[in-house]
Amino acid sequence: MPLIANNLFFRFNNNQDFLLENINLELHRGECMALLGENGSGKTTLSKLLIGILKPEKGEISIDGEKIRDLPLAKIGERIGYLFQNPNRQLFCSSVEEEVGFALQFRKSERGESEKIVSELLGFFQLDHLRAKFPFTLSQGERQRLALAAIMALDPPFFILDEPTTGLDPRRKEELFFYLQKLLKDNRGILLISHDHDFACNLANQIGELKNGKLETGVIKC
Amino acid sequence: MTLPRIQVKNFSFSFPDENSPLWTNLNFSLNPGEIVGITGPSGCGKSTLCYCLSGIIPRHLPGEISGEILVDGKPLSQVPLPQLSQKIGMVFQDPETQLFCTTVEEEIAFGPENLCLSREEIETRIKEVLELTGMTHFRYTNPSQLSGGEKQLIALGAVLALGPHTLILDEAMSQLDTAGRKRVQKIIRPLKKAGKSLIIVDHQIENLISSDRVLHLENGQASWR
Repeated sequence: MPLIANNLFFRFNNNQDFLLENINLELHRGECMALLGENGSGKTTLSKLLIGILKPEKGEISIDGEKIRDLPLAKIGERIGYLFQNPNRQLFCSSVEEEVGFALQFRKSERGESEKIVSELLGFFQLDHLRAKFPFTLSQGERQRLALAAIMALDPPFFILDEPTTGLDPRRKEELFFYLQKLLKDNRGILLISHDHDFACNLANQIGELKNGKLETGVIKC
Repeated sequence: MTLPRIQVKNFSFSFPDENSPLWTNLNFSLNPGEIVGITGPSGCGKSTLCYCLSGIIPRHLPGEISGEILVDGKPLSQVPLPQLSQKIGMVFQDPETQLFCTTVEEEIAFGPENLCLSREEIETRIKEVLELTGMTHFRYTNPSQLSGGEKQLIALGAVLALGPHTLILDEAMSQLDTAGRKRVQKIIRPLKKAGKSLIIVDHQIENLISSDRVLHLENGQASWR
């Protein structure tokens, strides 16, 4: 079942014009939509609506047929992994290892299984040697990789990634690209917000462009 | 002979509790009107070097230093902070760490106000940098309501308002769209022409297009590209 947004309207203040108007989108598993638009066009705002951090003034969002507004944030988090534009917003544990394993504590899984997942992710994102470090002593690129590892831990069916390549060097960007490609092959859906046009267009199979509050969607042409 | 803006001499740095230094014996100069790009994999110490060059290390962050950094020929540690802020301005990787006022206007005015400039001069600088960064229409907006890219432009504006002779941009274009990146390049060119020096840290080679040379940091070593 897809992630669906129907006729969304949103503004921060009732006295202002709508920042987003009549937004419709449908993201299926195994598909990647690149969400593009100028700075300030509302890309991050739309992504926050989709995961229920912000509420639309009108319209509805649903995932697997259930309305987002009826789901507690923790349940949404199990279905949509969200990477904030600024990784500092989502790091709060006292060590890198704890950060990656945080969400797994609340899932009924065996301790050994959680440890295996954490180790695999730390290995993939090349954070193994930083396992015991306090996240805020890491570089920005390392924090970005840590935030990515943390949202991958729960293995949700959908991901919303807000500028995932920020702070990544070319080699790690390429590695992330292949990892996301693998997620798509494993039938995960990805909404990708990025100013890195090449990265977004090479990964995505459809495009959504926000312009003057409206979303135009189409098949990717890059 | 013109004195370099910054001279880095046999400079090494280690974080507390780290056995090995982040890099050793770093040597380079930044001349007036010169742009130096800095690249390297994440975690190689690019931001740390920026903190050292702007005096944040060791004034506010601890660590073990050997060698020295000179600003206008004087040891950086001996330059008083108010003077240093007029010589070196830094735009941080995460703009949210340097935005704290309730309006964009206040944010831009904060530095000049602390330099005790006249009201007229402060107003002139606010108008100039808002126009340069294309942010005039956000003058009375709370910075927290801006997008990531817009915050980066405001952070850049706030630093430009101080009029430093050296500007350090630590991935200051990472959240900008194409138009925003072009705008920053357009800001950089006349700065260079006016004799300002710049250090630009970036992973995207196209953002380093105006650099005269590029310093690559990796595995504790520095090389020129």
